Amino acid sequence: MRRTLMSALGVLALAIAMLTPAWAQSKGTVYYMVPTLLDEFQTGSVGALEMFLKQVGYDVKTLNADNKTDAQQSQMNDVIALKPAAIILAAVDFNALKPSIEAARAAGIPVVEFDRQITSTPSDFTSVAGTVEIGYVAAEQAEKLLKEKHGSVKGKVLQVLGDPGDPYTLDIQKGFEEKMKAFPEVTIISHPAMQWEASNAGTIVADQLVANPDIDLIFNHAAHLSVAAVASLEAAGKKPGDVMMMSSNGAPVGLDLIRKGWLNVEVEQPLYAQAAAVAMFMDKVVNKQEIKAGEYDVIGLKGTLTVESWGPNIRLPGAAIDKSNVDNPAFWGNMKPPSDTVKAVE
Amino acid sequence: MTPRTRKILEFVLDNLVWFMLLFVLAIFSIFVPNYFQLGIFANIIEASSVLGVMSIGLALVIITGHMDLSVESVAALGAMAVGILFCSAGIGMGLQLRPEWLMVPVSILVAVAVGGAVGLLNGVLIVKVRMNAFIITLAAYIWVRGLVVAVSGGRSAQDLAPAIRWFGIQRILGLPLTAWIAIACFVVFSLIMAKTPFGRHLVMIGGNETATFRAGIRVTRNLIIAFVLAGAIAGLAGWLLAVRTSGATANLGVGLLFNAFAAVVIGGVSLKGGVGSLSGVYAGVLLLSSINTAINLMGLPANFTQVIHGLLVLAAVLLDTLKQTIRQKLA
Repeated sequence: MRRTLMSALGVLALAIAMLTPAWAQSKGTVYYMVPTLLDEFQTGSVGALEMFLKQVGYDVKTLNADNKTDAQQSQMNDVIALKPAAIILAAVDFNALKPSIEAARAAGIPVVEFDRQITSTPSDFTSVAGTVEIGYVAAEQAEKLLKEKHGSVKGKVLQVLGDPGDPYTLDIQKGFEEKMKAFPEVTIISHPAMQWEASNAGTIVADQLVANPDIDLIFNHAAHLSVAAVASLEAAGKKPGDVMMMSSNGAPVGLDLIRKGWLNVEVEQPLYAQAAAVAMFMDKVVNKQEIKAGEYDVIGLKGTLTVESWGPNIRLPGAAIDKSNVDNPAFWGNMKPPSDTVKAVE
Repeated sequence: MTPRTRKILEFVLDNLVWFMLLFVLAIFSIFVPNYFQLGIFANIIEASSVLGVMSIGLALVIITGHMDLSVESVAALGAMAVGILFCSAGIGMGLQLRPEWLMVPVSILVAVAVGGAVGLLNGVLIVKVRMNAFIITLAAYIWVRGLVVAVSGGRSAQDLAPAIRWFGIQRILGLPLTAWIAIACFVVFSLIMAKTPFGRHLVMIGGNETATFRAGIRVTRNLIIAFVLAGAIAGLAGWLLAVRTSGATANLGVGLLFNAFAAVVIGGVSLKGGVGSLSGVYAGVLLLSSINTAINLMGLPANFTQVIHGLLVLAAVLLDTLKQTIRQKLA
């Protein structure tokens, strides 16, 4: 019995010894607080952050808040107790997470904001495409599409928002409507698809096609909503191109719809670049070193880093995807992760 | 009160939800621009097909005096199973069967079987193991949605096989076939509830389970069948959802459960069990759908939509309570 026990302990010690070098290679564990796994951008962000952070020596553990603010607050409290190298936060609610960010930083844990910018309290780094800016890019594309159709910027736009409780969609709406104000001959009809649920978007499109048959352009705030919108257009006897359509986030479904001719434009959030930027600056964040303002090459995209009142903030441009560039592998929706490895900024 | 007046009043009370629906439709037709047109009424019926079918299963279980909170997630699982097998883009495997029409019964069978299996598990745990229906179906609501996220990896399936998608496009008398399927389900299950011993036994179980058992009726078997039916019907609702949206996303159907409960209650089904008809439930579903459509057309500020929706549902339920009070006075 004693001999068996000694042998088992020996094997265990050997296994631990073999594991030690692997631990030594890691610079620490970073927790990624993802708001939900119910949309493809968020699911993609998990894979992208894991890939890029591994390249610079960090392990990533992901916690899903299932779009619940209170769940994310609890997760933050739990993770603070674990004292990780850093926390990457894509906040469910921009304001509600402020105390949790402050608590983490007070405990000496750096906090990185990913995709969703929080300006009400300082954090150690922010990597965003800018949700308001996505609205701006969408407005530029709407302007172009309406001008091509009518000769001048006029017509009717149906804007299908996500859940009205989600600041992400409200920011896109803000940016879009702010820019479109310049065109008084454009009527914008806005409706929310409750809980970002696709069939709700389908119902909105079906109803509006009957009530406003002269709709020129449909702007869905996420690519998966476009799928249901297309189903409603199809059910109403429309063919690709009969009603112009665009959406945002650059998910694979959106790119497929461009190839099939249903979608004119997809405004991409540069998922890979956003994740790569986090990895590039993670050493500086963890070691609490100064991050300098300037322009940085982030896997081929020009990122502009500014030092704001809430901390260093890198902004990466969102791209407009249409038929001419839809197959570009740089777009995350093509699901071809970049082959270049990311290097930490010295 | 003359017998004739009493008869008329009872008829109105029995079908109050239908009169409420007509009233609401008339009001919206007058005050909401573009509401009064055939296309919009067709949209209302079409939009209520998924919720309607789901509400049938939920109503069956509630009539027996139990409840099933899992129907929404079960529908999502059914939709995702169909999406993964029969969609050709995203995470869809693009399964092809020859002849193509074979994909229709097979996909329905898959959705119904997936739903029926979850319903069977719920039924056995609740009826045989005597666990609480609320807890068991709440657990199923959570784990089944988790399963949807796990099997899809958060990604979506698109481009449903044209043979299946045909049901969402093809129209008879201006209504898509999905809407006719929902109407057929209501007719069939209304007949089952009203004309078969099984239907009557479910109502009796909901009224008094012990008395029904003592009357020699197989309560356990009937209750398990009710749960299996609720799951299977939710699976069918999932199939309709996949057809309607030409695929499946991980959050498909989110929020349907509470609308289904609202429709069932507005439709006159008592949450205590033993009371209710599926005809009323269908009217409840149409009522909710017509409210939704009005909100869509009114161009209300996005932030207030949920508030208005909730208040209108509350008004409908209050009216139903008033109906019960009048009925008690008549008795």
